[in-house]
Order: sequence, then C-alpha cells, then structure tokens
Amino acid sequence: MSKAKKIFQDVLWDNKVLKIFSGSEFSIPEVLKSNPMFEDFSKGELKLISKIAYERSYDQGEFVFTMGQPGAAMFIILVGEVQILRLSDEGTEVELARLRDGETLGELALLDDSPRSATARVIKPTKVLALFREDLVNFLSVKPELGGKIVKKLAVITGYRLRMTNDLLLEKQSELEECQKKLAEEKHD
Amino acid sequence: MIDSSRQLRSRIFYTLFSFFGLVITVYLFAVLYPLILPTLIGILLAYITKPLITALMKWGFPKSIAVGIILFLYGLIIFGIGTKIYSLVPSNKQQLVLRVQMQEKIDNIYLDVLGKKDFTSPGNYVDELFGKQIEPLLVSFNDFFSFDNEEEKEFYAYLNSNAFSEKERTKIEEQYKKLKKISFPKSTKKVVNSTVSESPLPKLPSLIPASKITQFFSELSKWIVMPFVFLFVLLDDGEIRKFFIGIMPNRYFEMSLMVFNSVDNAIGKYLRGTILQSSLVGLTIIIGLLLIGFKPSAAFTIGIVAGISNAIPFLGPIIGLGAGILYAMIVEEINPIIPFLSSDAGIVGVVIVVLIAQFLDNTVFQPYVLGKAVNLHPLVVVLGVTGGSIAFGFWGMFLAIPTIVVFRVIISTLYKQLKAYQIIY
Repeated sequence: MSKAKKIFQDVLWDNKVLKIFSGSEFSIPEVLKSNPMFEDFSKGELKLISKIAYERSYDQGEFVFTMGQPGAAMFIILVGEVQILRLSDEGTEVELARLRDGETLGELALLDDSPRSATARVIKPTKVLALFREDLVNFLSVKPELGGKIVKKLAVITGYRLRMTNDLLLEKQSELEECQKKLAEEKHD
Repeated sequence: MIDSSRQLRSRIFYTLFSFFGLVITVYLFAVLYPLILPTLIGILLAYITKPLITALMKWGFPKSIAVGIILFLYGLIIFGIGTKIYSLVPSNKQQLVLRVQMQEKIDNIYLDVLGKKDFTSPGNYVDELFGKQIEPLLVSFNDFFSFDNEEEKEFYAYLNSNAFSEKERTKIEEQYKKLKKISFPKSTKKVVNSTVSESPLPKLPSLIPASKITQFFSELSKWIVMPFVFLFVLLDDGEIRKFFIGIMPNRYFEMSLMVFNSVDNAIGKYLRGTILQSSLVGLTIIIGLLLIGFKPSAAFTIGIVAGISNAIPFLGPIIGLGAGILYAMIVEEINPIIPFLSSDAGIVGVVIVVLIAQFLDNTVFQPYVLGKAVNLHPLVVVLGVTGGSIAFGFWGMFLAIPTIVVFRVIISTLYKQLKAYQIIY
C-alpha cells in the first residue's frame, strides 16, 4: 500500500467522528480514582479532571507517541497493552517496558515539551485517557490547589522513577565491577 | 474473510456518512449564510470576555455565577450606552436647527478660505485656483441643508416653542434670516423659501412603517443567535475543543492539542490587544477633545466612535476625524483649556487631536499592546479591508483584519507543529 493511500485511509477511515457521539463506556472519575496518581483526590476534583481528559482508542501497531517528538500529554491505559521502545545505536528496537491497564506513560510531558525519550507502541487494541499539559497549566491558574496537587504527584512519581533509575544504575555498576573483577582474576590466572 | 467484508462494510458506511455529512454541511452553510456574522461576533465577544471569567473564577466564583455577573455588567453597559446614544440623537425638530447652524458654518468657512466678502465678490488666490471646483461642493451642501416651505414652517413652530430661551431664539432666527438674505450659489432642486414642490407620486406612509417593522424583525431573528452563541461559548468547559480533537486521527492527536491551544491563545491575545489598543486611542481622543474645549458628553461620544472605528485600518481614523469635525462645525462655542488655542480653531484642534492619537497609536499603542501579531503588509491590509467591504459590507470591512490575522496565526502554528511532530520536512 502506498504511503499516500495509507495516510488517506488513516484520515478517512480511522477518524472517530461517530465514536465521539457514542460516549464513553468507562466512568472516568472511577478510572482516575483507581490510578495511584489520583487515588487521594476528592470526588469533585476527579470530576474536574475528567472534564479535561481525552479518551482515545488505538489499534494494534499504532503509536501513542514517538521518540523525539515534543510531548504534550500524559496517558493512562484504560484497557490494553503498550510497549515502550527505544532504538539502539545499531538501529534495532529495544523493549524497555510493557504497560497494562491502569498504568501511566509520558508523565513528564505534563511538565515541559522536551522530546519524548522513547516510543510507545500499542501491541493489542488499547484505550487510553490523555491529560494535556496546557490544561494542567490552566488548572494552576484557575484552581491552584488542584493544579498544585497534580504537580506534587508528578514530582513524587518523577522522584520515585529517579530513585528506581539510581538503584538500577548502582545494581548495574556493581555487576560491572564484579565482571571486571572476574576478568582481572581470569587474566591473573 | 469475515474481517475483510466487515472492513468493506464499515468503509462504505463511513464514506457515505462523510459524503452526506459534507453535503448537508455545505447546504446548511449556504442556507444559514446570514447567521454566520452574528455567530462570529458572538464567538469574538466570548473570546474577549474569557479572561474576565477566569479572573472571577480565581476569586472563587463558580463559573456559572461568574458568567451571570459578566452578563449583568454587559447588560448595564449596553443599557447605559443605549440610553446615552438615544438621548444624543437629535429629534426631527432639533435637526432643523442643526441644519441652520451647519449651513451657516459651512458658508462662513467657504467665504473665509476663499477670502470673499460675499458669494458674488471676487476672492483670493485660492478662489482663483480652486474656486470653480469648490463651488459645486458648496451648492450640494446648501441643497442638503436648506429648507422647503413645510420644513420652514416646522422650524419656526419649533423655534417659537418653549424649547429655547429668548436669547437662543433670537440668535438662531438671526442666523436663519441671514442665510435667507445672502445670495449663495443655488441649485434648482431645493432652495430656501422656495415654493412647495408637489411630488408627482402620492406618498404611501402606511407602507413605510410596516416594511421597517418587517425589516427590524428579520434582522432581530438573525442577531438573536449572537447572545446564545456568546453564552454557550462562554459556558463551554472544553467540549468544543474535545469535539474537534476527537475527530483527529491518533497520529495527529498531540499535535492538534498543541495547535488548538496555540491558536486559541494567539487569537485571544490579539482580540484583547485590539480592544485595549482601540480603548487607548478613544481615551486619547477624549482627553484631546476635552483640552480643546469640547463638551464632556460630545468628547466622550466622539472618543467612543473613534475608538471603535479605529479597528478599521485607514478608514477608522477618518470616521473619528469626521465625527469630530462635524461637531466642531455645529457647536456654537468652544472654550479651549489650552491657552494658545483660539475658540474659532475647533476644526484645526480636532485634526491635531486625531493626528496625535494616530501618532501614539502607531508608535506606542500598537507595538506595545499588539506586538508583532499584526505586522501585516500595508497592501494586504488595503486589499483585506476593500475585499471585506465588497463581500460582507460594513461588518466585512470591520472584521477583515482580525480574520486575516486569525488565519495567519492558524497557518503559521500549524506549519510549526507539523514540523515539530516530524509530519512534514
């Protein structure tokens, strides 16, 4: 199939004109409540957040976002499975993680528009909830308490991820040191 | 096999749905064409009002209450301005007196500029150079302002009523008598104190009010849409954006969020900037007119007219200037606050005030308030305003530049984001 034909079909067949009239099968505030990021938010706050949330459906093989593109939204998986990938120096795909129902991806896009550090590809039909950064900025201005609460949660998640990365780095460093020791011993023998 | 036939069915369904949707949309646009303008103005007003709603919400008001407060304030402003304008519009009888005053002023200016003692005597070098070109203009002015017999009767009846003090009555009467005595150039159509000209066709007065009422209700039925659009756009909690983002394919999702947001911000900033810029021009003119001795009510009215019309490039300042000169010509006495300005220099004063306002607008207000948002090429501005007036009349002329700016913002933002999201090179 030619590229032009594919783009045409994507626009013509894949658009969700009808689906937006059919409403959501999920109760967005409930979904948000079950997510660790929003678990201690009040009903009213969740209702406000659900007003700015976008529900999207992806088919197998579609990209939620691509590495290098500017980030604009954070995604919460309602149902489905998403693969987080990075291209290695040799140009081959390296799977970093697989995310499933209730998990979040692309949170850092809520803080700034720096390029995505990895690609997110759907590996089975998936529905996600997207939260747009500028809506959060607007919350910080109009509902500062709620906006601040979300930013604080993001900071906690980022801190947690940083700690995890540090632990992983330490683990890999000690593994590397052990390998180096073994190599040195083998050489010595 | 099942999958491919289902795919085919859904493709046929979506194609037919898109086709009929498009046909219906085009048809509705063609039929509901008169509603486009009120809808656009409703959206425009909502854009301008949005920051006020946000400010009220920041103070803790729920959105619905904030909208209610704004509607109440707008109602008060419209009522206030409406009653003011209504009180300033002269009645038919008042117009007769104004016509006498205007005619006298124009004739005096004509004689002064051309250095003539009366309309038949020879004048100065201006008369020699341009006298023949200016005379037809004076004839048409005199034609326009002079009375027929019926109007003269009405004028005298009004003059002898209780509306004037003895002093005013004598002054106006003298003006009128003087106009009748002097022999200014006349056309054959209508002259002071002429015999009543019989119209060959009988008047149909009953039909005129009826058609005006029909016209009024037809206009009202169009413009009734505007407050509703204004209200719904103001009350919208992002549903409109959600709808449009919802129909975007997944690959353009984040990009469309960014485009929508950037365009929304840029249009809002531009429109609010234009309002602020026009208000500053209006305020400068009000202050200037007060300094050259205009009455506060006249200075405010002319300032508001000049401020609003300032949104129309080139033509706006002329409208403001025209309104000011018209008042300077009608008014009997101007008492300038500025000491070196004589009380006869009303027209010169208006020209200076408008020039200062335009100078400030171009050097301070526009660059500071609007920044580079309106850096349109002058040719684009001229073509836009002319094209707008040809296509949509007055409102087309008024909205031409905002429309061009909006499209420019949309195209430049879209181009920037398409590149950022690696969709185009």
